[in-house]
Amino acid sequence: MAALVLALTLTGCSGGVERREVVVTGSTTLLPITEVSGEMYAEHNEGVSILVSGMGSSAGIESVSTGSSDIGTSSRELKDAEFELGLEDTPVAYDAIAVIVHPDNPVSELSTMEVRAIFSGVITNWQEVGGPDLPIGLVNRDEASGTREAFSKIIMDDAQFDRGAVVLPGTGQVRSVIADIKGAVGYISLGFVTDDVKAVSIDGVEASEESVVAGTYPVQRVLHFFTKGEVSDVAADYIEYVLSPDVQDTIVREAGFIPITAKDGSGE
Amino acid sequence: MSEPLKTEKAASSSGLKMMSRATYFREAALKNIFLLCAVLAVAAVGLIFVFTMARGWEVVKDPGLAAFLGGTEWSSSLGRFGILPLINGTIAVTLGALLLGAPLAIGTAVFLSEIASPRMRSIVRPAVEMLAGVPSVVFGFFGLVMIRPVVAELTGGMGFGTLTASVILAVMIVPTIATLTEDALGSVPPGIREASYAMGATTWQTIYKVLLPAAKIGIIDATILGMGRAIGETMAVVMVAGNAPQFFKGLGAPIATITSQIVIDMSYATGTHKTALFGLAIILFLISMGLVALVRALSRLNTKKA
Amino acid sequence: MGKRWANRIALGVLWLCGITTVLVLGAVILYVFVRGIGQITPEFILTRPYGVNAEGGIGPTIVATIYVTGLAMLITTPIAVLAAVYLAEYAVQGRLVNAIRFAADTLASVPSIVMGLFGFAFFVEAMGLGFSVLSGALALSFLMLPIVMRATEEAIRAVPRFIRWGSYGLGASKWQTVSRIVLPSALPRILTGLILAMGRAVGETAVVIFTMGQAINMPFTPLDSGRSMTVHLYTLAMEGINMDAAYGTALLLMVMILFFNLSARWLTARNRKVKE
Repeated sequence: MAALVLALTLTGCSGGVERREVVVTGSTTLLPITEVSGEMYAEHNEGVSILVSGMGSSAGIESVSTGSSDIGTSSRELKDAEFELGLEDTPVAYDAIAVIVHPDNPVSELSTMEVRAIFSGVITNWQEVGGPDLPIGLVNRDEASGTREAFSKIIMDDAQFDRGAVVLPGTGQVRSVIADIKGAVGYISLGFVTDDVKAVSIDGVEASEESVVAGTYPVQRVLHFFTKGEVSDVAADYIEYVLSPDVQDTIVREAGFIPITAKDGSGE
Repeated sequence: MSEPLKTEKAASSSGLKMMSRATYFREAALKNIFLLCAVLAVAAVGLIFVFTMARGWEVVKDPGLAAFLGGTEWSSSLGRFGILPLINGTIAVTLGALLLGAPLAIGTAVFLSEIASPRMRSIVRPAVEMLAGVPSVVFGFFGLVMIRPVVAELTGGMGFGTLTASVILAVMIVPTIATLTEDALGSVPPGIREASYAMGATTWQTIYKVLLPAAKIGIIDATILGMGRAIGETMAVVMVAGNAPQFFKGLGAPIATITSQIVIDMSYATGTHKTALFGLAIILFLISMGLVALVRALSRLNTKKA
Repeated sequence: MGKRWANRIALGVLWLCGITTVLVLGAVILYVFVRGIGQITPEFILTRPYGVNAEGGIGPTIVATIYVTGLAMLITTPIAVLAAVYLAEYAVQGRLVNAIRFAADTLASVPSIVMGLFGFAFFVEAMGLGFSVLSGALALSFLMLPIVMRATEEAIRAVPRFIRWGSYGLGASKWQTVSRIVLPSALPRILTGLILAMGRAVGETAVVIFTMGQAINMPFTPLDSGRSMTVHLYTLAMEGINMDAAYGTALLLMVMILFFNLSARWLTARNRKVKE
């Protein structure tokens, strides 16, 4: 291991004729794809290392535009100001955001409007949406989260999140808290929904791969790889690998995302 | 390091004569090297202040000093950076920590210094010292998995918030307060104790009427430093506070502190937002320096009186 | 009877305080131990984390932790010890000494998050060291400096005066006295201070998270980035993805801290025995 790192450092210092390192920074949502595919890619290509860190979509976009990363991953679209950065977009997967509640919560369907009212603190008791008399415990993500960004854009419109919501910086923690607290509600990527929690239908559409591919499930988004200018050969090859069936039909699917190839039928 | 060693060798080879001119210069040079090292501590504090200032002072331009110090809303997406909710959160968890932790710590210190048998002392004192060594993430983790569910049960909320943070902080400030209080009690002259016992006072009367008043300033110092620890503690708080930058809404409601907001925001902050975070750091720095100055002023007062 | 009963109740409460403190420590240690012990395998300690749930081991984080702590120690020790020598042996009470002490006290009480932000602004960005072990070590050395300084100063002051007089009487110069007589006899206590400061550095999170980075990486040169055990534990706990590994990491951290603490105690105890 040490020898490998030494080799990397040496090639890095010798003027970078051949870069054997791909730095991938960005969305934590994409970590299951980037980390696992990075490891597998490095296994197949000796001497290459894929350095993955999850700092949030904004950090990913920022770091690829300043050149500190080769690939910036993002679970949201570019903001207006970011279009000027001249980034190249490669969509890699679809992700749907599920609104999750405690499994014992009888509420199993909400409208977009109801979800918005709940998360902006207008509706504070499950009674108001046809559930039991139980106060709603709001769980939100931190503002660095791409999931929060997407959820806010798709669901919240102009409404503000209730400031009293518990802010948790990780998907797993949101899930485990909601699995633990009867009145709690939150949102996570569909890929991370387990039996510990219940995903409610939105506007009458169940949150599932089928409904996402069909385009009927309202809370969905595209996951991106962003690059800038000329990409190193290793990085380009790695991106190609991520788009190949090797990754799309295995890693992406296992992580609960929907392959980007699924919609044109080539992945099915 | 290598420099003094070399000179030392040279000095020894010249033998142990009366101080020669060379030895004199060597000694003077060494003294100045040591002085330089000591002054580095001052330089370090200056450097910290200058660099956090350099990165944070622009809060006076944007969002503006009034909006920063007097703002009631902290929201990066709206570009509002008012620190009042964070100050409020810091005060809430610190007060909670002091209410729970200070009596426990002072009680432990009195126990150690006045009551415990040497055997008991040899168990409790190491425990206090080791408690000081437990990393704050471990406390935070413990709070997250152990205390949070209990608090959720008690308050009917989700367990993230003021109460959980206060409990964890209380445990964390016990070593600071207990150790310094024990020192203060130890420096009370034994004659005073003996006089009290000789007059027929019970142990408790001696503690309450004689020792605690005599060690008062030391105990106040200890509590202030414990308070400083609670205000500055970061990781443990961020893991259990719920991090909602809102004003105190009850023991079970989530809250954010100055320190927790910095950690949550730092990974993605840019521009004004980042400046505002450094502004928070300046405030923390000034608070901790102010508390140290207060403690020093108090002890000076104490020595003057004595 | 009022007096006796008040006494009994009060003493009972004080006993309770002492016992509670011990129980709290016991609870934390026991809980982490029980939940974490099943995780500790050679594989967990040696291999690196992989996959969605950070399965596998935490090897690189242990290396990064030891690396950054060791480097910080190398930076801190000479400066802190020499500064303490000045304060204890050379300094004349006055405004300068007062300022130095005030600075050391302030440095000791600066919240670690402030140290982290400062380290980020100064070492990572201004000095261009990037997220690296070196940045982390430099920032940590600021944190350790006052601890080691104070321990060393107290250790030097505890060396009896007459030993020094003996040395001066034989014609030794000040530095000869300090280096041959005072520092060797103060050594065990200085070491104790060093060990405790190292324990503090190992457990530190807020400083290293903003100076050494968060990416899991096996650091080789001091300019490599890395993720410390504390940052790993924080990430695992906050992501909530692999709580088993979090317990395992917490246990290993506690074991390291306890090791530092116990060796410090052992040194102190041995030193006392030798003196008697």
